[in-house]
Parts: sequence; C-alpha cells; structure tokens
Amino acid sequence: MTTPLIVDPADQRAPGTGRAGRGGRATVPAGRPGGNRWLSRGAVNGLLAIAAAYTLFPLVWLVTAATKDAGNILGGNVFSFEGFDLGHNLSTLASYDGGIYFRWYGNSLIYAGLGALGCSLVSVAAGYAFDKYRFRGKEKLFAVVLLGVLLPSTALSLPLYLLAVKTHTVNTYWSVLIPVLVNPFGVYLSRIFSAGYIPDEALEAARIDGAGEMRVFWSIGLRMVMPGFVTVFLFQFTAIWNNFFLPLVMLSDKNLYPLSLGLYNWHSNANATPDFYPMVVSGSLLAVLPLIVAFITLQRHWKAGLTAGSVK
Amino acid sequence: MSHSWSRPLRTAVGAAAAFVSLAVLAACGGAAQAPAEGTKAHPVTVTFWAWTKGSQQVADEFNATHDTIKVKFEEIPSGGLGGYPKIANAIKAGIAPDVLSIEYPSLAQFVSQGSLKDLSSYMTPAVKKEFLPQTIQLTTMGGRNWAVPSDASPQIFYYRKDFFTRHHIALPKTWAQFRTAAQQVKKAAPGTRIATFFPDDPTFFQTMAWGAGASWFTTKNGAWQVDTTDAATRKTAAYWQGLIDAGLVSTAPSYSPEWTASLKAGTTVGYLGASWGAGTLAGIVPEEKGKWAAMQMPSWDAAHPSVGMSQGSTFAVSKNSTKTAAAMKFILWMSTSPDSVRARLSASTSTALPAAPALVPVARKAIDTSFYGGQDLYGLYEKAGATIDPDWLWGPTAAANNTLRDQLHGVVGGSTTLPRAITITQSATVAALRGSGLKVEDAS
Amino acid sequence: MSTDTGTDTTSTTGGPGAPTAARGAAGPRRPARRGPQRTGLAAGLLLTPFFALFTVAMLIPVGYAIWLSLFTQKLSGLGFEGPRNVFDGLGNYVDTLGDSAFRHGFWVLGGYVLFYIPIMVGGALALALLLDTAIARARRFFQLALFLPHAIPGLIAALIWVYLYTPGLSPVVSAMHSGGIGLDFFSANGALPSVVNIALWEWLGYNVVIFYASLQAVDRSLLEAAAVDGAGNWRLAFGIKLPLIRASVFLVLLFTIIGSLQLFTEPLLLSNTGSSITSAWTPNMYAYSEAFQLNDYGRAAAASVLIALIAAVLSFGVTRIANRKGARA
Repeated sequence: MTTPLIVDPADQRAPGTGRAGRGGRATVPAGRPGGNRWLSRGAVNGLLAIAAAYTLFPLVWLVTAATKDAGNILGGNVFSFEGFDLGHNLSTLASYDGGIYFRWYGNSLIYAGLGALGCSLVSVAAGYAFDKYRFRGKEKLFAVVLLGVLLPSTALSLPLYLLAVKTHTVNTYWSVLIPVLVNPFGVYLSRIFSAGYIPDEALEAARIDGAGEMRVFWSIGLRMVMPGFVTVFLFQFTAIWNNFFLPLVMLSDKNLYPLSLGLYNWHSNANATPDFYPMVVSGSLLAVLPLIVAFITLQRHWKAGLTAGSVK
Repeated sequence: MSHSWSRPLRTAVGAAAAFVSLAVLAACGGAAQAPAEGTKAHPVTVTFWAWTKGSQQVADEFNATHDTIKVKFEEIPSGGLGGYPKIANAIKAGIAPDVLSIEYPSLAQFVSQGSLKDLSSYMTPAVKKEFLPQTIQLTTMGGRNWAVPSDASPQIFYYRKDFFTRHHIALPKTWAQFRTAAQQVKKAAPGTRIATFFPDDPTFFQTMAWGAGASWFTTKNGAWQVDTTDAATRKTAAYWQGLIDAGLVSTAPSYSPEWTASLKAGTTVGYLGASWGAGTLAGIVPEEKGKWAAMQMPSWDAAHPSVGMSQGSTFAVSKNSTKTAAAMKFILWMSTSPDSVRARLSASTSTALPAAPALVPVARKAIDTSFYGGQDLYGLYEKAGATIDPDWLWGPTAAANNTLRDQLHGVVGGSTTLPRAITITQSATVAALRGSGLKVEDAS
Repeated sequence: MSTDTGTDTTSTTGGPGAPTAARGAAGPRRPARRGPQRTGLAAGLLLTPFFALFTVAMLIPVGYAIWLSLFTQKLSGLGFEGPRNVFDGLGNYVDTLGDSAFRHGFWVLGGYVLFYIPIMVGGALALALLLDTAIARARRFFQLALFLPHAIPGLIAALIWVYLYTPGLSPVVSAMHSGGIGLDFFSANGALPSVVNIALWEWLGYNVVIFYASLQAVDRSLLEAAAVDGAGNWRLAFGIKLPLIRASVFLVLLFTIIGSLQLFTEPLLLSNTGSSITSAWTPNMYAYSEAFQLNDYGRAAAASVLIALIAAVLSFGVTRIANRKGARA
C-alpha cells in the first residue's frame, strides 16, 4: 500500500522551485486573531496535539513495551517501570537462532538498499529520457507507465511467484529483488524532477562541447537531478522495507527473510511460546528506527517528493 | 542445493537423472527408484522438512548413527502458518523434499491432490503392529497407507487443580458434568471460565464431534462420502452452542495473546487440549507450576469414554521423491526408535505421545512433570489413547475447515449458530469436492 | 546492452526506439529542447533498463495471470492420481464472480471505503487547514509527529495495533473497560473499524503533509487580499483555500481508493488473531487463500485479474472526474 501520488503529467511543475518544496514557511497571511473566536489559538493547537497524541501513542507503547519481559507485556502493565528487561530483550534478539534477527536486518538492508538504488537509477534514466527527448509515441508510452502505477502490486505477486517457480528463482534473493526494481511512479516522478532541475541549456552546452548523449546524462543530467534521485530512492526504500506480501509468497528459506517476514513468523510462534512477544516487540522497535531516523534527517527530500507529486 | 553448479549444467544433470530413473522404473516395473541404502563413500541423502522442535536433533542423531543414508533437515514454518502452502507449491514445482511432516487433519488433502507416495508396500502387518491401531487407520485411505504416524494426540482436559479444590468443584467425567462444573466455576469467581471454545481453529470443534462418534469423511466404492451433520455432530453442536450462549466458556482464539493473558490472570482455569499440550501450557504459564493437573477429556457416556485426536503429526514421502526406500528407513527409525525420541526431547518440552507404544516409557522418563505436581501424564495419555474413536477420517479438502472457520467467527460473534454452521459446511464441502472433480457422495 | 532491446520492449506502443527519420515526421510539438543529434538511440538506451524490467516484472506477470486464469485443475475418483490441467475458458471468471465469498469481499471493501475515505480525507484536510492557520504552533513538530506512522512498515503497524486491541494485553482496552466501555475490537462489528483505524493511523499524516504542502503553494497574495476584505479563518479555509487545492484532494482520493483495493496485510494479521475477519474478507485475501490454501491457481489468477481490472476502471473514473473538475476550476 505504498503507492504515492501522481498527477496528470500535463500538470507537472518543478518541485522545489516554489515555496512548497521547502520545509520552512514563507510569509503567513496575518489572520485576524479577533475574527476567529470560534477557533481560538488554544483550540487549534489543542486539536493538533490530540492528533499528534493519536499518532504517537502506539509508538510510545512500542518503546515502553520493548523494555518489558513476556509476563509484563501480557499482563498489560506496559507503562510501569516494573520488569524492565530491555537489555535482556536485546541480547535474546541478538542470540536467538544464531543471531538470525540481524541476518534478517541485513537482508532487509540488501533488499531495500540495492533495490532502491537500482530502481532510482533505472527510473531517473527513463524519466530523463521522457523529459529531454522527443520521439514518436512518447506520450502513449508514458501512459502505459502510468497504467502500471495503477496495478495493485498484490495482484502481481501470484503470477510472479509462478514465474519464479518456472525459472527456478523462487526462494532466492533475486525473486524479491527484481520485482522491486520497477516502480512506474519513480519514472513519473523522475520526469517531473528532470524538468524542474535540469535546464536544457546545461545539456546544450555540454553537447556543443562534444559530449555524447550518454555522457551528458551521466555527468550532467544525473548530477543535477540528484535531489530527485534521493526522493525516488527514499520512496522505494520505504516501500521495500515495508514489503511483506512478495517475500511472504517468494521466500521459504528463513535465511533469506527480510525483517517484516521474520517478525511475522515470530509473531505466529508467540501464540504457543509467549517468550517470543518481547522479541517481536523489541525487534519491531529496532526495525523502525532506521526509517524514523531517515525521515527525520531527510525531511526536506521526502517533503519535496510529496509536493512534487501533488502540488498543482 | 548446490551453488557450485551452474544452472544449465544442473538442469541437464537433473534431466539426465530423471531420464535414468524413468528408465530404471520402466525396467523393474515401478519398484523403488534409488537403492534403499548407499555406501559409506556415497550415502543416499534424504531431505526432510518439518517444523517440530527437536527435528534438527533427530536428524543429527540419525546421521551420527547411520552412514549409508544421510538426512538433510530444513525447518519450515508450521503447517497452518505457511508450511502447507509451501509444501504444496514445492510439490507442484517438483522441488519438494523426500520426507514431509504433515499433521493428520491435512493428510487427506495432500493425498487427494496426488502429492504423496503410496507407502503400502512398506507398511507390512509387522510394521503396522508397532503403532496404535487408530493412528494407522487415520493414515489409511482407499485401502492404502499414505503416511507413518509420528504421535498420537488424544484429547486431554487440563485444569487448575488449586481452583477446583478451593471451590469444591467436582471433576467432570461427562459433558453434562462439565456444564455443571462450568456453571460452578463462573459462580465461584465472576469473570472466570472453565475453559475456552477456540473459534479460530475449526479442528477444535471437529475433534469434539469426533469424540462424540461423528464421522465426517469416509471412502467407499472409490468415492468420498461426506456427512458433517450426522447425529453425533448435531449433538456436539447443540451442546457447545448452549455453553456459548450461556457464557459458560470463553471464546478467545487458540494460543492468542488474549487466551494467554487470561491464563496468566487466572480467569481461565481449564484447557481442552491434547497430549502434546501439557508442554505448551507449562511454557505459557511457568509461574503456575504445581497448580495444574490433567485428566481424561469428559465424554458423553462415562461407561464408554471416547475421545478424538487433536492435531498430531505423521511423516509422508512426497511424490517428487526418488528415494522412497531410503526415506522410509529414516521415517520408520524416527517413529519407532528410542534414540529418536531422546534426540527430539533433548531440544523440546513437547509432551507428545509417541504413536508407537513401545516408545512411551522413553518419553515418560525424559519429561519432567513437576508442573503437574509430578502426575504420571504418560499413564493418562496411554489410557486416553486407547479410547480414541477409530472411525474418523479427515477430509480431502481445505474447504471444510475454511468454511467452518469462517462460520465459527459468526458463531462467537452471535450472527449464526453451530447447528447452522455445520449445515453450511456440508454444502460448501460437497460443492468444493465436486468442483475439483473428485467423486463425492453427499450423505446428508 | 543493445538498442535492439529498446525497440523491442517498446514496439507494442510504437515507442521511443522508433527511427530518427520518423521523428521528423512527428513534428515538434514543443519548442526544440535539444539539438537534432541521434537522440533516438540515446532515448532508447536510457529507457531500455526500465522497460526491460517493466516487461519482466509487470507485463509478463499480467499476461501470465490472464493465461493461467483460463485453466483449471481437475481431479478424479478419490484424487490419488493427482490433478490434470484442463482448459476452462472463462469458467474461472464465472466461478469467481459467482462465488459469494468473492463478492462479499467487495461489500466489505465498499463498507471500508465508505468508512475510511471520509474520515481520512476529511481528517487530513482539517488537520492541514489547522496547520495552515496563522495561529498554529510548532508546525514542523506536528507535521513530523503526524507523519511518523508512515515510516512504520505496514506489518509492524498492524502488529502494534493488534496488541493494542487485545483484551488483557492492551492498556487501551483495559482503560476503556474500567471506564465502563466494553469495546471488542475483534467482534463482528469491531472488525471494520479496527482495520480502518490501522490504515488511518498509517496514512493520515502522509496525506496531511500533502495537503499542507498544497496549501503552502497557494498564492499568498490571494489570501492576503481576502484577509484584508475581512475574511476570517473559516472563510479563508473553506471559501478560498479548499477550492484551490482541489486537485490534491482528488489525487489523495484516487490513491486512497487504489490503496483500499489492495487491503491485505492488516486484515490478514487480524484474521490470525481470531477476530471475526474471515479468510476471504477482502478480494486480495480471497486470491491469496485460493492460491495458497486451496491450491486453485486458476481461480486465484482470475480473481487477481478481476481486482486489477476493477482498480483500473475505478482509477480511470476518478481521474476523469478529477480532470473535468480541474478543467472547470
């Protein structure tokens, strides 16, 4: 369910060129404080605070629950300081089944890292080509790409699985990696970024200097569109990190599992063996940390990405 | 899987091997494809998939004591949580291992998909005599043997002895007494229930019907006979509907956090389980050590106790296997050798009852029953094992279980009732079997 | 990599690998953006990797699904001999559409969408408008706080919420219980809201950020003029800002609908916990259970094709409406 936004390509506009792409806010019109008795400062901020509490509460629960042993998680008294067991939980996590948790972690990094890297490269190249070149049937071809955005990815998983069986790639790294290299939305986004970040004059100048088309793309286009590249990368990284259905279908060797699938397995085991609860909870906490850190530090980029897709 | 071979080479070798084995097959008229045993230098390697704890140790022990057959074990997710689809897919793709662990309720599904090897020629009368007869019956379909029993799993009732004693509640021998006891429990401590009707696991209800004498599936004249609404099932349905309506049992899902939490809180004081459940229970609430005890499951007629079997596992050989003879050597060793039981219990606290009675003393010795106040669990299990109703067969489609499971959600939600659920299960099962092309006789 | 592949992958649509000569005939639609070099080759080269992968991971699977959906497996007798693959024409489609479980999935989905979309779009809009008022504080913090759940993988989000729904385990349930509210998140009536809540939690902040970004892009002079005219925050929000970000609203709507059709992970996890969610609760779960529990690949493929088709039709519909409204605006 990680389909981001698209707009009609006719609406495209450069991201980051307007105020919208920036995290900071430009001048705010001075609303008249006297004119909103119905919505006081307190009410506005209170409502926002309630919404934030709603979104943050489960995360707070996750953090505190990760410090508890099975008895205290099951007892429901997660917010007390009783049964503080974080160190033990983490060491169980590290040692269980020969440290398989960190193997999953590594797998997730491989799937998400390589997958997102490959996907962004491929998408940016295609997006650049769609933006900077003219050829017959371009818009029709682009429409096919957009149609790909609309395909529910879960509907593709079953045929992909059967194809993987036929090609003997089922239950290998490839079976999960290859399908995530494609994201039509990445191409769409790249086209917009290419239009916004790469002035035609720069390419023209390079061509006059005698650079070949590939060289122009590689040393000028790609450089200039870097912010877009990062955005596509982040999008895809999150999507793959979140991916559950495809690995569930493709993988049976638990040494190849990504985190989401491994945690799902533990969660299933937890029913008969409650000792798994603390492992699932603390494992989940560790699994979300890199994404949270990435989103906090790279705020500017993902906001630019979202904005690029939606602002008309 | 070898990583040193390039893929085309491997495919070529595979094709060649298939060709050779076909030729061999043609030559000796369908006997075993590979020799039962290799040599020390070139042992036959048998692959084995299971999820039961201790399986790795069993394989290791076999390898340590055998040198002409070697076992390669791979752990898979438990059947219901992805293991069975994985097996089914592997068989379809032609990459399934030789030996599979399959629970009794799912066996017929694999058999009716043509996924397993007919093991009749290995299951000689002498071999069969080593097992509890009911378990042989459960693995026999259409007059052929499809699997080797691993454990028998008669239903057992576990209860909080301290609670029952404190509140002077008589131990229920019959289902009528169970209802009375359930009322007493509810009265003694508000919010407390005698046990749980598991709504997420259709085999729970089916096993209850089995114990009452129901027989949902049989094979006759080359056709499957289906009757999920026989008198025994209707009786069972009405009884449990009554308990649910009166709020006398809890309806938490099996082994769910909700169920576990209620055991820990002491608001569930009984567990309608099976032989293997004693180990599970002790693992879930270790702090209640010494407070629990086990007894024979209540029955409908105290003079003639009869129970069903809850889950329990078998070993089968996939149709992809070219090493049936070697696989059978390994399987029979697993199911009948004391070494195998000891190896399994070195890594597991499962209180499964071996299907081969000769192994029971081995298991009894290895299991610590202090959680149950040192009670002789295996003595009880053996007694209960003898009362397993022999006339039950699990069905050849997942549709029966899927339909019943979906219906049970409605039953505990109050939107339908058990009697209605079994009627719907009947029609859905017959339709599913007919749809898949099987020959079916609708007995209802 | 040769350019042949480039022409190959795109030939179906008369694509980018078309020879340079043809390009001239197409005529410039926009002012020339580059010199007249042999750029067809370059475009082909740049597009090849994507379209090769697109073909492998999307087009072929779609084609294969359609192919598979035309076959069914037949057993005979007691089934011991294994299944045969039989051509079945549109039989799988007829059976799938005729299966009340499949249709029920769409009813559930319909209920879900009716429930989820107004809350989601309304809630996200309201929060974005609140954030965009002059008197909101700590905008960065609120944006981030609201957005954070989106950084949580869907499966883990579902896990957390399952724990928060479970009686005896959840502080929420016990707090409500002691407050006299006996809410059962797993009951027949609780299932839908439970799933809606998880999805809402995951996606609310995401959409708030989108709406907020759109609001920020609104021409400030318009708002200042309106403020000078005496428009209060309320008028500003609903009379001026909202119509200006209509495009964003429709897009969020579109993707929320597509996302809803893919509903799978959250209910799957809930169904395992024994809530009243059945094995074929949503169409996607139906396809999954047909394929991996009942081993009926033909039926599963037919279901997948139908889901994709419905998604495409719905998206097309929403896009058309959005574009028409956009054109009028």
